[in-house]
Amino acid sequence: MDFYFGLLQIIGVHTILGLSAYIVLLTGQVTIAQAGFFAIGAYIAGMLTVLAGWHLVPAMLVAALVAGFVACLVGFPALRVKGLMLVVATTAFGEAVRLFWFNFDYQIAKGDVQVGPLGGEGFKQIRFFPENGWTTGDVALFIWFWVAVIMAGLWWMDRSRAGAVLRAVGEDELAAQSVGINLTAAKVSAFAVGGFIAGIGGAIYAHYTTHIEHANFGVILATFAIAYPILGGLSSVLGTLLAVIFIQGFLVEGLRFLGDWRNLLFGALIVLAMNVRPRGLIDERVLNTLRRTFSIGQGGGNA
Amino acid sequence: MDFFDFIQSITDGVLFGTTYALIGIGFTMIFGVMHKINLAYAATSIAGAYVSWAVGTLVPLPAIVTFLIAVLGGGAIGYLVYLCCFKFVPLSSPLATLLSTVGMLILIDEIVVHETDGMPQPYPALFDDVYFEIGELYGVRGDLLFIFFLSLVATTVLLFMLYRTKLGMATRAVAQQPVAAELCGISIERTNASTFVITGLLGGLAGAMIGASVGLLSPLLTLPVTVKGLIVTVIGGLGSIPGAIIAGLLVGAFENFFQALRGVTERDLYVMLLLFVFLTFRPGGIFSRSVGRD
Repeated sequence: MDFYFGLLQIIGVHTILGLSAYIVLLTGQVTIAQAGFFAIGAYIAGMLTVLAGWHLVPAMLVAALVAGFVACLVGFPALRVKGLMLVVATTAFGEAVRLFWFNFDYQIAKGDVQVGPLGGEGFKQIRFFPENGWTTGDVALFIWFWVAVIMAGLWWMDRSRAGAVLRAVGEDELAAQSVGINLTAAKVSAFAVGGFIAGIGGAIYAHYTTHIEHANFGVILATFAIAYPILGGLSSVLGTLLAVIFIQGFLVEGLRFLGDWRNLLFGALIVLAMNVRPRGLIDERVLNTLRRTFSIGQGGGNA
Repeated sequence: MDFFDFIQSITDGVLFGTTYALIGIGFTMIFGVMHKINLAYAATSIAGAYVSWAVGTLVPLPAIVTFLIAVLGGGAIGYLVYLCCFKFVPLSSPLATLLSTVGMLILIDEIVVHETDGMPQPYPALFDDVYFEIGELYGVRGDLLFIFFLSLVATTVLLFMLYRTKLGMATRAVAQQPVAAELCGISIERTNASTFVITGLLGGLAGAMIGASVGLLSPLLTLPVTVKGLIVTVIGGLGSIPGAIIAGLLVGAFENFFQALRGVTERDLYVMLLLFVFLTFRPGGIFSRSVGRD
């Protein structure tokens, strides 16, 4: 049973990571910086619970706020550029954050052991969950509570005016600007919210793995972060969830019996999926079909 | 660190930077022609070198033939990338081609890992036993000097192709104005495909040069080379081939200098800072004419 709870935890955290990239992608910006915000969230929340002895929830929110704040700071210069330039700028930022933690030492003695981040060796012993007696099931429930909160929040935002603004910027910047939308404000706020969400994800990640190191937060993780929403489709938050389940549940865990060949199939299936469904697994057409089916079902019930 | 070490590390860096320059040219050419990012490009070049390595394990080859096979292998893989990631994906969805090239990057990497069990493989170098001493204190590694001249030749051939042949004219026409080019009877699809083959050839050469100067081929090379290549592309200015060359040498020198000064773990941090400086003060790259930011 623990295996399935563990899988649920991975899917949950990766969904949060994917959603953090989703909101930035809505504005048409491709960001490879999410792993950087994820790392900031992970290290800061870890330091707050381990070194300062905080409870996880306040530590997580503070870490997420820091990540969001950094995203805001980076957003202003980075979002002046777009397209390939932004990809490179955000890649560089993500790598810079990773290298920062690679060279960062801050250890204090706790009892007879040294705790805290130690450069290349990483940050060990983030033992909030075992120290407080949380079972794997509790942790999975905790993670999915936050997944639900974030998904509901983004779903609601998508249906509000803010969502329309973000999508307008993503579809056509010139048109959006000419109806009076402040492009910089829209992009930077999407970037900051994305950083905040990634920070929450990172904080949770640090605590369920109990050991983080700089290599966990490389370009590959950042690429996965944007791969989920693109593969799932940007029409709905459900796409991201579906893509995470497809990649982490099916491609990574489900195909484990293929051994070495799994990794080969992994890349090939992504290439194939993009050839067959360039607008994502759940695109506008699927979403409309879903809506129609559900509304017909409701209509039948009312009649 | 004294003055002599400073000169020496900069020289070595500039010589190694030629490989970055070639990778940067590849990224910049594909972007110039298709306005698309091909994130699988650095993987293509490393894979080209691996092809020549694989042939070399079957039949013993002189190093120069190995280089040639790497070039051809890179070209073939470049065409495959075009077929799998660009040809059938509608151009109106830029995110789809971005992700499909990521998939291709993972696929190429995993094929390499699968075939070599993830172990680094030795790669032959030319003139690695030659060492030119200049005065009493300076020296230049023969193999680095060789790859420097090789990339000079490659760049010259590329520039000749672009500016003196019909194919080059068609490529520049499509890069400038695809619709107008098509109206003049240029096949966009064929031009795109030939761009991928040409950049693939160049990438194969770069991969062989990286393998030769490091002395090893490893799948772990792909990601750092991708990141460095993209940085070179941006510093040099998108679509600018001379810019990519200068930026490649600059990044090579910069990184080697900081490696000597601050150690290998911090070196890339300063390269990222250099990039941010350029993004903030010269977003159009080294040779930018206007303030175009795209």
